[in-house]
Amino acid sequence: MAPAPQRGPSRFPLRRRLAPYIFILPFIVIFAAFGVYPLLFTLQLSFTNWHGAETAQWVGWSNYAYLLTSPDFWASLGNSAVLWLLIIPIQLVIALLTAVLLNNAKLRFRGFYRIAFIVPFVTPLVAIAQIWIVLFDQHYGAVNGLLHLVGAPDIAWLTSSMWAKPTLALLFLWKTTGFIVIILLSGLQSIDSSIYEAASIDGATRARALWSMTIPLIRRTLMFAVVLQTLAVFQMFAEPYVVTKGGPYGSTTTAGLFLYNHITRADLGTGAANSLLLVAIVMLMSLGFVRLLRAKD
Amino acid sequence: MSSIRVPVVSADVAEPSTGRRARPAIGSHLFLVMLTLAFLSPVIWAVLSAFKPAAEIIRNPLTFDPSTFTLSNFTGMFADVPIASGFLNTAIVLIFKGSITLFCAPLAAYAFAKYDFPLKNLLFGTVLVTLMLPTIVLIIPLLLEMKELGWVNTYQALILPGSVDAFAIFWMRQVIASVPDELLDAARVDGCGEFGIFWRVVVPIIRPGLAGLAVLTVMNIYNDFVWPVVIASSDRLATLQVVLSTLAQNITGNKIGADYATITGELLAASAVALVPLLVIFIVLQKHFINGILAGSVKG
Repeated sequence: MAPAPQRGPSRFPLRRRLAPYIFILPFIVIFAAFGVYPLLFTLQLSFTNWHGAETAQWVGWSNYAYLLTSPDFWASLGNSAVLWLLIIPIQLVIALLTAVLLNNAKLRFRGFYRIAFIVPFVTPLVAIAQIWIVLFDQHYGAVNGLLHLVGAPDIAWLTSSMWAKPTLALLFLWKTTGFIVIILLSGLQSIDSSIYEAASIDGATRARALWSMTIPLIRRTLMFAVVLQTLAVFQMFAEPYVVTKGGPYGSTTTAGLFLYNHITRADLGTGAANSLLLVAIVMLMSLGFVRLLRAKD
Repeated sequence: MSSIRVPVVSADVAEPSTGRRARPAIGSHLFLVMLTLAFLSPVIWAVLSAFKPAAEIIRNPLTFDPSTFTLSNFTGMFADVPIASGFLNTAIVLIFKGSITLFCAPLAAYAFAKYDFPLKNLLFGTVLVTLMLPTIVLIIPLLLEMKELGWVNTYQALILPGSVDAFAIFWMRQVIASVPDELLDAARVDGCGEFGIFWRVVVPIIRPGLAGLAVLTVMNIYNDFVWPVVIASSDRLATLQVVLSTLAQNITGNKIGADYATITGELLAASAVALVPLLVIFIVLQKHFINGILAGSVKG
């Protein structure tokens, strides 16, 4: 080994002090070029009225002012908020129940269920989004076909502003619930099972044990899942882009899709401002959830 | 809640509790079976329907008659859309982008987890902040950057951006932090170089986590759609997902000029073809994947 150099605050040899810099170098180069630089570029763009060709003009805060007073911007956030309400509570309940059941080593067909539940997560989004279009077609779809069997009337799943959001929510639930099950399962596995034995001697029912022991014990994992899914719902883009194109009547124009629409109109300054507003909103929400978690600690 | 009870109660409780346990077992299987059906039926329906005559798919979406089994949706789809070149492009991106992620992310994460150096916390803080950025935020500036570099419709534009993502670093740091320092010091005493410690000590220990990262990375790259649509719009470079989404637009825009049934049939055939490779990879590797996520997730 190289002898320790005399100078410098470190007692380690030079080689060891240099090592971490070399190890992070490839990451830093890619991260700086394709992460940090474009982000700073976005910040600059958001104060201009650039459309891509002419010279950019500095317009101060007017992009932000325009968005904050634009009903369409708030409508896109509102659409995402409704989707959040349609998705997150249902997903948490289903995923938690499933994870608790799968955490039981004595459960039969456990391995089979684990595979079955993760299949949607592995399915390419574009493929399943297209399958959704066909399945939920008002006239030829299999879902309305099933409804006919039980004598129920047709539902315009993708072509009415009332049903388009629930149909998208269903797609998102189908696609991501299995992954949340696995995340919650990882939280459940860190619980020492002996506390349940103590509880069953107490005569605690399963429901009570779930509510007053399991949920508090994995609340960090639960919060992690909520933050992860909140980010995903407010960034949701590909699902409405493929399935509904934001319609009917803008009812599925999510915050992510609204942002993308600026790009297609080459309205880059407004698009950049919209990006940063969306980041600020999502960050505030995440911080809010973290606060909620801290408050209970 | 009082933690100690008189033992007498336990005998009292033991009897009814077995009875109670039996009933929820049926209920829980019912719940799990219904969920399984909900999760698997769209995929099974799509794959089976792809083998039906196109007209049958929309006339009788709920039935499958093996005597009408046909490959015409597949032959039509292969003739109409460049799905083979889509596969090839996806494979190229997968190999290069995947290798960069799987090499750079754990290496950087190792530096973050096991070394002290100035600016470390600031750098890692930046990584955490970018975790919260919607990917779509960077699309405009990245697109402009690619234009300046002359990289629009090139492989490097598909490969480099997003090749080392914040989540991979964050996750691998968690995994590597659990490797005991004593092992690293012992290797150092034995004369192992700093990179040798990473390669010969850390990597073998974190293999489950790496396997999880590998499956997740392959999946993300294979399914990636937003960035390829924006940056690689030319037919020559279209990845599988881009090819698929163009086909989907045909169903509403009817650009091929074919009838609804034909396009639906081709769509389902293309979806089935896109689904199957990933499903097979996943089912073969599912143990590594699930254990990998379990090894790397937040605890408690």
